[in-house]
Amino acid sequence: MTQVNTTSYKTIKLWKISERDKRPEGYNLKEEDGRYRDPTTVTTLRVPVFRPMDLMVEASPRRIFANAHTYHINSISINSDYETYLSADDLRINLWHLEITDRSFNIVDIKPANMEELTEVITAAEFHPNSCNTFVYSSSKGTIRLCDMRASALCDRHSKLFEEPEDPSNRSFFSEIISSISDVKFSHSGRYMMTRDYLSVKIWDLNMENRPVETYQVHEYLRSKLCSLYENDCIFDKFECCWNGSDSVVMTGSYNNFFRMFDRNTKRDITLEASRENNKPRTVLKPRKVCASGKRKKDEISVDSLDFNKKILHTAWHPKENIIAVATTNNLYIFQDKVN
Amino acid sequence: MECALDAQSLISISLRKIHSSRTQRGGIKLHKNLLVSYVLRNARQLYLSERYAELYRRQQQQQQQQPPHHQHQHLAYAAPGMPASAADFGPLQLGGGGDAEAREPAARHQLHQLHQLHQLHLQQQLHQHQHPAPRGCAAAAAAGAPAGGAGALSELPGCAALQPPHGAPHRGQPLEPLQPGPAPLPLPLPPPAPAALCPRDPRAPAACSAPSAPPGAAPPAAAASPPASPAPASSPGFYRGAYPTPSDFGLHCSSQTTVLDLDTHVVTTVENGYLHQDCCASAHCPCCGQGAPGPGLASAAGCKRKYYPGQEEEEDDEEDAGELGAEPPGGAPFAPCKRARFEDFCPDSSPDASNISNLISIFGSGFSGLVSRQPDSSEQPPPLNGQLCAKQALASLGAWTRAIVAF
Repeated sequence: MTQVNTTSYKTIKLWKISERDKRPEGYNLKEEDGRYRDPTTVTTLRVPVFRPMDLMVEASPRRIFANAHTYHINSISINSDYETYLSADDLRINLWHLEITDRSFNIVDIKPANMEELTEVITAAEFHPNSCNTFVYSSSKGTIRLCDMRASALCDRHSKLFEEPEDPSNRSFFSEIISSISDVKFSHSGRYMMTRDYLSVKIWDLNMENRPVETYQVHEYLRSKLCSLYENDCIFDKFECCWNGSDSVVMTGSYNNFFRMFDRNTKRDITLEASRENNKPRTVLKPRKVCASGKRKKDEISVDSLDFNKKILHTAWHPKENIIAVATTNNLYIFQDKVN
Repeated sequence: MECALDAQSLISISLRKIHSSRTQRGGIKLHKNLLVSYVLRNARQLYLSERYAELYRRQQQQQQQQPPHHQHQHLAYAAPGMPASAADFGPLQLGGGGDAEAREPAARHQLHQLHQLHQLHLQQQLHQHQHPAPRGCAAAAAAGAPAGGAGALSELPGCAALQPPHGAPHRGQPLEPLQPGPAPLPLPLPPPAPAALCPRDPRAPAACSAPSAPPGAAPPAAAASPPASPAPASSPGFYRGAYPTPSDFGLHCSSQTTVLDLDTHVVTTVENGYLHQDCCASAHCPCCGQGAPGPGLASAAGCKRKYYPGQEEEEDDEEDAGELGAEPPGGAPFAPCKRARFEDFCPDSSPDASNISNLISIFGSGFSGLVSRQPDSSEQPPPLNGQLCAKQALASLGAWTRAIVAF
């Protein structure tokens, strides 16, 4: 049985997800279809037994945490104590107890007294995997703040501020948009965290605040297309990112149903495509390549042929195995490592 | 690097996005609108800088025809109200040596107006930096975000992006003194020079580059340099003090923003969100010595917010903060809308969600308001569409910058 928190704009629900592959048969008072039998017709007693059935996955809501957020919720993160969790919207972060649905604590509030002074919003938040008092939240300005809940009830003052100075040579109309962080994820070890902005993935060492230790370009060829991407709203897409179990590889999505993996040790990267053509089981995915400009080699795809309606925003990596889940607009793909 | 979209179409697109977000399901997306507002501000700054460059180029061409022969005797440096740092700026040396004033009267008038904007914005910039500077993008902070104020003359990050390749912005690099004649622009980019007009806020965060430095192409407009950089012999700088400072105009009605309509070259002074001519024409304008603010404002008097929130910083500095200015009688069709907005802005009276809706509603109805309020608009108010709204919106500088950033 697993528990999953979901959120839809402003309400949070806790679901129980379970699999069922057996069902009891042979009730005394009920027919197999569920109708009750007339007790007077029962002449013998029997013990119901479990019989196999087709696997069924059930999700049932167990808790509803409502009315604590004024703005759209962008993150929920369960604490390592498995008792509390946080939820973050554009301006506030609340701390909940999983068992208590009617109240929460506000632990971060960046709403200015005068809304006209608003310059940034919270874009993502996550608890530290090991320290139950520590969490981070990212902002639309490309900064990450690490907070310690032991310091004060309202964590408006950060313990650490992670920020990389902007490269002035890359300045454009859209600099603010592409520096907005769409996702932040701690490594499993808890020593690093990864942030995703529009064009890149950055790995930060929690001990170093002034710049990331690694930066990977996801689709740098889009930098010259920012105008068009702004027009068609793609520039506002919020991509997620994830670590593999050993924190050696990070993965994130892109357009044209491409997703990218970066090996932190070998510094190699690969682009793969989640598409129905490759849907047959055991088909090994072929690496893809985008040609930014100039002559297009065979099997390369040019930037202008990319389908920006096909985007992979959500990816997940099994915490122990090399199994990944990749979500396109309408399909969920599950891939696993080549079985040798 | 950037696509062919010019600043103006980018502004239209951005306005359309904000407008359409009002009607989308799920409520207003605060984050998206905030980002769009940044694009809007960047594009607007670039657009305005282009216009200023054009203006100065024209001044230069006119100036060449007559030999400059006098210094301004009425130079008034560092007005009493001006922060000390303003004294860092030396007088502007336009090409031809020392005469910041064009000979041609109309041009002189325009420069005069522009200077008002300079000074006003400089004040706002410096006041803004007395408040905690927003974190994050240093360039945004340098651009005076969220204090747009007069807006136009803040740092131009957009300019930096559009510098000619050989003109990558560098801090501390002295600008070339202004050369007479139009500057050759090798690239199909807007002239970078107007960035030079940007008042270089000495307190800008160190990380902020100086996009106001366009080395290479000789800027057709005024040359300026960051105070930190050594001034070349021709002592470029902002021509602060060449004209009476805003404080000399008498900051009545608490605070004012002077806006220059670049299309019609009309200067309108907005007093706390009201047009000066409306304000003083009103029987209620205290500065004109006539009684208390009108009743329309009384309900909003408790609210510190104003219709044109760009007044924010100046407002904080004013002694008579209660004097929120007079209600304009002139904009009769406009006043009711504005009154409603003031009330809506009162933080106590409405929940957060409706505050945001109201901010957005500024853009929805605000532009039609801008259109109808420009007294010298040649056309009748055009329909509310992106293109024309953008033009009108651009014409009134700074007034709505902060409202945008509020997203």
